[in-house]
Amino acid sequence: MSLATFDRRIIFGVIFLAVAAPLIVPIGLVSEVSPGTQQFYDLIEQLPEGSVIMLSFDCEASSWPEIGPVADALVRHAMRRRLKIIGTSFLSEGTALGYDLLTRLTRQTGMPYGADWIYLGFRPQYIAAMLGMGESIQTEFPEDYTGRPLDSLPLSRQVRTYADMALVVSIADDTMPQYWIEYAGGRYGVKIATGLSAVMVTTFTPYLDSRQLAAVIGGLKGAAEYERRLGIRGSGSRGMDAQSTAHLAIILLVIVGNVAYFAGRKKP
Amino acid sequence: MTAIGIWMAAIGTLAIYSFLYRDNPIYRAAEQILVGLSVGYLLVITIKTTLVPKVATPILAGDIWGIAAAIWVLLMWTRILPRFGWLARLPLAVIVGAGAGLSIPAMLKARVLSQMGAMLRGQPGFDAWVGALGVISTLAYFYFTRPQKGAFKALARLGTWYLMIFFGATFGYTIMSRLSLLIGRTDFLLGTWLGLLP
Repeated sequence: MSLATFDRRIIFGVIFLAVAAPLIVPIGLVSEVSPGTQQFYDLIEQLPEGSVIMLSFDCEASSWPEIGPVADALVRHAMRRRLKIIGTSFLSEGTALGYDLLTRLTRQTGMPYGADWIYLGFRPQYIAAMLGMGESIQTEFPEDYTGRPLDSLPLSRQVRTYADMALVVSIADDTMPQYWIEYAGGRYGVKIATGLSAVMVTTFTPYLDSRQLAAVIGGLKGAAEYERRLGIRGSGSRGMDAQSTAHLAIILLVIVGNVAYFAGRKKP
Repeated sequence: MTAIGIWMAAIGTLAIYSFLYRDNPIYRAAEQILVGLSVGYLLVITIKTTLVPKVATPILAGDIWGIAAAIWVLLMWTRILPRFGWLARLPLAVIVGAGAGLSIPAMLKARVLSQMGAMLRGQPGFDAWVGALGVISTLAYFYFTRPQKGAFKALARLGTWYLMIFFGATFGYTIMSRLSLLIGRTDFLLGTWLGLLP
């Protein structure tokens, strides 16, 4: 079989096996904690108990398998540190995903809604909403995601603008952290951090140098490292076994492809 | 997730992945359902969380600012009436003007001035030189006002190397990102759906 007639479905099959096998039989590879992940961990760790952080679920459902473990690890850490959480979203699909995650995790730890966490919900015009929250969260979101008046919730009476928050974390699969940096960080001075899909990491790393971002954590690997730092084994850690074997399979396929290509070229 | 939800998600996932074998009607049906659901969900959530509390409720309460804003927005629709189409320019002008006024200084500060400031304030050393050379040579590559000859060509060529390194790193992360999505779905199919995972 030559490269020209090679059925690419064989490659799909190999990659699927490389992903599925370590999920069924875990290898238990350890993800060393990188300085970037440690920086994010320290940032959350240094916040005083009872501080308020905003989590914005700026992602679509299609990237949730990658972003979800990042969000899960961050929320678990925030709950462990007894931080208060305000959830929101500027992408429609992220709204339900974020609410579902916070509901599930806060139920496990018994964090009461309204006092320890609230969910503002979705706004389509994100720049206007980011600027609006800098003036008054209650004006921008008169009601929470469930339709309750915001002023009826104890946490929202405590937090009026970004000035009352210790940190804003954008859980994003695209360029939304850029707008957080420009409009919430640049204009109102609130500290911004972001949990990203891996593909966006190179775009936002330069903002760490200029301190416009306080911390960046990226992709499934970032989630696995964060889980290790937290001392738990979640979906990020489980996925890294599969990630490693799939990378190995890709490297082998690249070598095989190149060898076949050059061997075929020598023939008359 | 309920049992029905798990089965629907599993069938949807398999329907989408069936494209890897070959294009087929099941894949296309799943694709159309996905697009329809996304648009429908966006529409409903926008009506529920924005149009009702921000437009309908103020109008029903007789809030003059709410009514004025709604009229202002409705002017956008005059484009469909040739005689009154010019009225649509009024809200459009406000949107463009406000957007430019807000975004130009914000973008200039965040993307240019703060980044340049960080480079200039950085600790002198190897990293700083590598960074500075990268910025200058990449800018040289995109400077088209004068022909790229001699030393300038060499500088621009160095810029392409910096770009290639960036693209390589981004591509590596992209592969990692896409594999993560496959891992997530495989984890769901084998674990949540079939219960095969430990």
